[in-house]
Amino acid sequence: MTEFLTAAVGFILAMLALGLVSILRGPGDADRMMAAQLIGTGGIATLLLLGTVANLPAAIDVALTLALLATFASIAFVKKGLSSLEADGSASTETT
Amino acid sequence: MSIATIFEIVLAAVVLGLGIWTIVVRETYSATVGYVAYGLLVALIWVRLDAIDVALTEAAIGGGLGGVLLLGAAARLRDSEPTVADAPGKAVRVCAAILSALTAAALAGAVLVLPDPAPTLAPAAASNAWATSLANPVTNVLMAFRAMDTMLEKVVLLLAIIGVWSLTPDSAWGGRPGPRHQADPHSVLVFLARLLPPIGIVVGIYIFWTGANHPGGAFQGGAILAAMWLLAIMAGLADTPPVRSRWLRLVLIAGPGLFLVVGLAGLLFGAAFLSYPPAQAKPLILGIEVAMILTIAATLGLLLAGAPERSARQ
Repeated sequence: MTEFLTAAVGFILAMLALGLVSILRGPGDADRMMAAQLIGTGGIATLLLLGTVANLPAAIDVALTLALLATFASIAFVKKGLSSLEADGSASTETT
Repeated sequence: MSIATIFEIVLAAVVLGLGIWTIVVRETYSATVGYVAYGLLVALIWVRLDAIDVALTEAAIGGGLGGVLLLGAAARLRDSEPTVADAPGKAVRVCAAILSALTAAALAGAVLVLPDPAPTLAPAAASNAWATSLANPVTNVLMAFRAMDTMLEKVVLLLAIIGVWSLTPDSAWGGRPGPRHQADPHSVLVFLARLLPPIGIVVGIYIFWTGANHPGGAFQGGAILAAMWLLAIMAGLADTPPVRSRWLRLVLIAGPGLFLVVGLAGLLFGAAFLSYPPAQAKPLILGIEVAMILTIAATLGLLLAGAPERSARQ
């Protein structure tokens, strides 16, 4: 069972790496933002699995914290990035 | 090679790659997004190293509040980012590269000459844990054995907020930080700002309360509470308080103030500054932490809100 869960962690980590490629390539700020959110969600899944594999119940607390603050960060991305995104929405896709 | 080892190698490679990219990328906004993702992944490494307390702080500060702070800075800098024309010249760039390489080499050298095994006080801290009746060794060290450091750290938070406030223009002094956010009352943002804070407040208080015996503590709990407060502000459901308000200033000094009072009481009635009598150690520590979680939540929230921009009546 532990081996299976660890393999699942590895699979999610591979998906995280794919999300990372999306952060690197962009092209727009919105794409990067969504990829960062994907990494947050994948990180929560990894934490929950890792907590079960390594028998660390406190990893669930880290996952809870990450879930709350990743949501908060995504809202701040939109709120603070929005005016600049609207201002040069077309420019950002060209320059990146 | 076991699956766990492969997992660790992949995780380290991903974090290193992301770190290098965050440094190399040109736009501040992209670098900030990279930094937030980096914070999330470093939290995974700390869990893997069994340092849950550090992972909690990294998730709260590195992935959450720190990222949002940098994001605000990136949004402000966006208009004034240097164009290709006024990029630094070759000499400046070579000097910067040499300085960076020297710093990296000095850090690497310092890591290499660390004594092995590392000197540690962990056994002493563990064997004296009975004195506070708290089971979490990290809380023991932070609140009892090295309480002086923690108290000064809270004073530093206070200095940071004074530093931010000192950037206030004269016309807005005593006023409210940040713009007044307006949002459509039926929008998704307002719905989320009504749905999430009740859950977040419970989780924040839980993280603080569980810190006595399990990983957690006032700082991580306070960071979550600050995030929930800022969420309500960003949705326009609440406004930032005017910085001249008495209750706000009282909350800001509550944590370090109570810490100092308890410390001086230890000097007067006990053995030394910040010494707790073992019988009352737990209630005293919990009392200080209650005041500290309020101070930390208010300070972190106000640090992110920035300097006052408009008068209190607006």
